[in-house]
Amino acid sequence: MSDEKHVDGAREDRKAPKSSDRLYAGMTRRTLCTGVVGIAALLGLGAVNLAPKEDLVRPPGGQDEERVIGACVRCERCVESCPRGVIAPAHIEDGVLAMRTPVMDFADDRCDFCVEENGGVPLCVESCPTRALELPVGVDPQSCVLGVAKIRTEWCLAYSAAGCRFCYDACPYEAIRLDDDLRPHIIEEKCNGCGACEAVCVSLKNGSISRGANERAVTVKPALGKGGGR
Amino acid sequence: MRAKTLRILIPLAVLLVAGVGFVLHIGIGNLSSFGWGDISLLCPLGALGSMLATKTLIPQAIVSLGIAVVLILLLGRAFCGWVCPVPVVSKLREVFAKKKALPENGVEPGNECSVAVLTDAEREALKVNDACQATKRGKAGRSGGCASCASCADVRAQLDSRHLILGGSLLSAAVFGFPVFCLICPIGLSFATVFLVILLFSGGDVTWSLLVVLALLIVEVVLFRKWCSKICPLSALMSLVGKGNKTLRPSIDDTACLETAHDAPCGRCALACEQAINPRHHDLGARWSECTKCRACVDACPTGALSIPLLVQEEQGARRDRKTDADVADAAR
Repeated sequence: MSDEKHVDGAREDRKAPKSSDRLYAGMTRRTLCTGVVGIAALLGLGAVNLAPKEDLVRPPGGQDEERVIGACVRCERCVESCPRGVIAPAHIEDGVLAMRTPVMDFADDRCDFCVEENGGVPLCVESCPTRALELPVGVDPQSCVLGVAKIRTEWCLAYSAAGCRFCYDACPYEAIRLDDDLRPHIIEEKCNGCGACEAVCVSLKNGSISRGANERAVTVKPALGKGGGR
Repeated sequence: MRAKTLRILIPLAVLLVAGVGFVLHIGIGNLSSFGWGDISLLCPLGALGSMLATKTLIPQAIVSLGIAVVLILLLGRAFCGWVCPVPVVSKLREVFAKKKALPENGVEPGNECSVAVLTDAEREALKVNDACQATKRGKAGRSGGCASCASCADVRAQLDSRHLILGGSLLSAAVFGFPVFCLICPIGLSFATVFLVILLFSGGDVTWSLLVVLALLIVEVVLFRKWCSKICPLSALMSLVGKGNKTLRPSIDDTACLETAHDAPCGRCALACEQAINPRHHDLGARWSECTKCRACVDACPTGALSIPLLVQEEQGARRDRKTDADVADAAR
């Protein structure tokens, strides 16, 4: 209760006037120091942008990484707007700068660019107030590439002859082919990283976990394919 | 319901609504940006930072800035007092604080001197002010504000550390190409905490982010107890634009005020103000642009002389106030 009374320092400063207090541009030394330390801290935090960054699988319209980092105010409205819940805020593990920016999370569903929900205008793009997510003019779902699917053959059930073909059946773009041994292969030029294969992959489900597996056997990775993604 | 309770319930309700919206994928957003579909109102600082960082004009951001300016001109810093979750989160400090038995006058030990002399302090301050003015009048031959005492001047300064930090955050955004302050904004972090907890329990999304966000929030808001008045750049922005705000100012009914009607010492309104405004002797406290319309002074007034009308009949009040101060000055001389 009474704590409230000295929440602010202004009054404390006033009640203990010191004749030795000099003013710098109308501010006491203490005020000036607080301000300067604050500015230094913000410039230091800004310098994080100079560090190398990991590639991430961004939502539709977020393929210009510089634009996403530059314009995103971390309001997480795209995460909330996504009707399929496939957008998640990036973790601090993805980088200090990336934390709370949107990344794709295909654990439960795939991205259909809101064809069903909003006639093909992604709701994440629509809700972004700063145009950090912005589709180039005339882009249709087929030509917007979020990332590209990769298969970890050592974790894939088909490669241990378990006869699994969920990803092959799920792919809406026919970007997966089965070889003679019925093992899936990604046709990269057809894949746009919609996540349908990752969403249905059972390699991490009970009874089928491979030793050391920490993600599904088929996952969407950043299209340029340098970093590891999430 | 008392203003004090409401000022806790409203921010909590905002957090709750944002949380429910997040769970149901409604897309209404939170205080960083809220709206419906492609219409959204963006945090003015985020809008500025985002545009400076990308060196582009963003239509939504410009519209949001315009709306924010109009709202601040109409309501001053009411956002800080009524909607912002930070003052509520900072109440956690009371949880950590050692419980002390309060003396009868409701003042914490260690703070007695300012309070026991509560009224005397006000009087003394007044005399100091008059002395300053007298000196000035004597030396420079003109009356004016009390700029010679650092303590007074600091509270009334046009710019303070918040404004430096506001400048720093915009500079950093422009130089390094991303809205730097958004990363550590305690308002954003409050909502981020809610969302991370929801994701943790609904989707098993286990991440260090939750701990980092919580730790950052607590460091900023609980450890820096002067965050709002000394650091927050959003508060700086609001107080700058709020200089043009003339509405909803505390106004004193001189026929009821203890000081004017009964010549009795009081000063409770000034003590109650978290922004260090002195509604009775306005020259002794912070500027009106700092007022968060929180009604603490109204609730503190023992005679109910204070009210916050939509528009004060300014001239009348100001003239009377000036007259009173002049009287005191004469008496002191």
